[in-house]
Amino acid sequence: MIAASGASTVLVELGAVLLVLAVCGRIAARFALPSIPLYLVAGLLLGEGSPIALQASTDFIRIGADLGVVLLLLLLGIEYTPAELSRGMRTNWRAGIVDFAANALPGVAAALLLGWSTVAAVLLGGITYITSSGIVAKLLSDLGRIGNRETPIVLSVLVMEDIVMALYLPVVGVLIVGATVVEGSIAVALALAVVAVALVVSLRLGTKVSRLLDSTSPELLLLTLLGATFLVAGLADKAKVSAAVGAFLVGVTLSGQIAERGRELLAPIRDVFGGLFFIFFGLQIDPADLPPVLVPAVLLAVVGAATKAGTGWWAARRGGIGKPGRRRAAAAMIPRGEFSIVIAGIGTAAGLERDLGPLAACFVLVLAVGGSLAMRFTD
Amino acid sequence: MELFETPLPGVGVRYEFTSAAGDRLGVVVRRDGRRDLVLYDEADPDACRDTVTLTGEESAALVELFGGTRVTERVADLRQDIEGLSIEWINLEPGRGLSGKTIGDGRIRTLTGASVVAVLRGEQSIPGPGPDFVLEAGDITVVVGSVPGVQAAQRLLAG
Repeated sequence: MIAASGASTVLVELGAVLLVLAVCGRIAARFALPSIPLYLVAGLLLGEGSPIALQASTDFIRIGADLGVVLLLLLLGIEYTPAELSRGMRTNWRAGIVDFAANALPGVAAALLLGWSTVAAVLLGGITYITSSGIVAKLLSDLGRIGNRETPIVLSVLVMEDIVMALYLPVVGVLIVGATVVEGSIAVALALAVVAVALVVSLRLGTKVSRLLDSTSPELLLLTLLGATFLVAGLADKAKVSAAVGAFLVGVTLSGQIAERGRELLAPIRDVFGGLFFIFFGLQIDPADLPPVLVPAVLLAVVGAATKAGTGWWAARRGGIGKPGRRRAAAAMIPRGEFSIVIAGIGTAAGLERDLGPLAACFVLVLAVGGSLAMRFTD
Repeated sequence: MELFETPLPGVGVRYEFTSAAGDRLGVVVRRDGRRDLVLYDEADPDACRDTVTLTGEESAALVELFGGTRVTERVADLRQDIEGLSIEWINLEPGRGLSGKTIGDGRIRTLTGASVVAVLRGEQSIPGPGPDFVLEAGDITVVVGSVPGVQAAQRLLAG
């Protein structure tokens, strides 16, 4: 039976891929490093041209990777409560602007120097801009810095990045479609209006929406959340605003108890599919494309580390933190990770610059590892 | 004691205070129910010298251990004046004041406007004692009235 043997090959390969993820995760944990860089490397090794290249399961992994992006963005949206987002917007907008300007511009400039299109430049700006809240939150907890006085300052900058993502992702979605200036402006305005509505709904009606969807049964809650998220993400994709944006907005709209329990229930599922996403991102990169982007990627990483560290130092000094605390805040801003890869993934899926994927992979590899080591080193 | 509250987006809320002995302490209440007990470093006031992470169960147990003082604090809070209304716990010592006499003998309400609303005797509590109720040495009377009224009643009761 051909169908059965096809299914068994998919199972074997998928099992192998998940075990590779598990081994990578364990190695990373042993050295107290984030697992994302190792996932990416594993993807590179399993990709085209490699002796252990995957055959049958790439379609499944592609779908898994799509779900991974949707779940990553859903949980990013749930991560902060609407109250935290609105307080962040009121009190930290200045830090948010400095952070965005200092860290997106190097990416944009680098892309323009490389002769890339404007859209690719906007994407690379996003890649260099966004700090990995996942890596940073985990390390702050592991290093026992949750109680430190500079930690609220670091976290509030991350909240601002979350808000900026809510505006940035729809704009990117529109730009990628390649609309004319007028069409583009209308679509951007529309996207921003949708984000505004989602935030207002979340602040005003969040409890009602959440109560409508909530259930005491974990099974029903999980089915409802996943169903609503995939549906909205799919519709958003059809409306050309990218599934990631739709999922993010669902996350922002949820609040209260449902957000609390949803986070707990969804985190392990996100980790599985998120792992597939990082592997898939690596799979798509031809290792032969890596050497040419190595030098620009490392240079960009050095600049990106410096601008982020500068932002952290500046924000901590404004908050009245002493020198050692400023050093810790500076290092804590450096790690880039999942969201840089998500942004790069949006670009590669749209078939933009061939070098975007490899460059982003190298950039994240250097800064996920380097940023984590820097955080440890400042302890 | 001043307690400072700082929101930690995505994590929870942090409370910190300085103890009378000069140590700076903090408690991080995490959204997932865990608590971090932190002691700040003297050399670097922004950093924690030590962090103890407790599960919800462990922090509940710790609160129980600290509970004794908290109950006393509650009582102390109750004594505070509530818009001109004063509540006082008055001990009766042997041979002084109204110990061995009835509440009516002291004519407390007539003279001061304050009332004895309850008497605590050993493990027993007697709410709303009448004028014929005989007070004993060792009783604790709970008196409610205006601030000067309760002070006057205290002089009558305790002598």
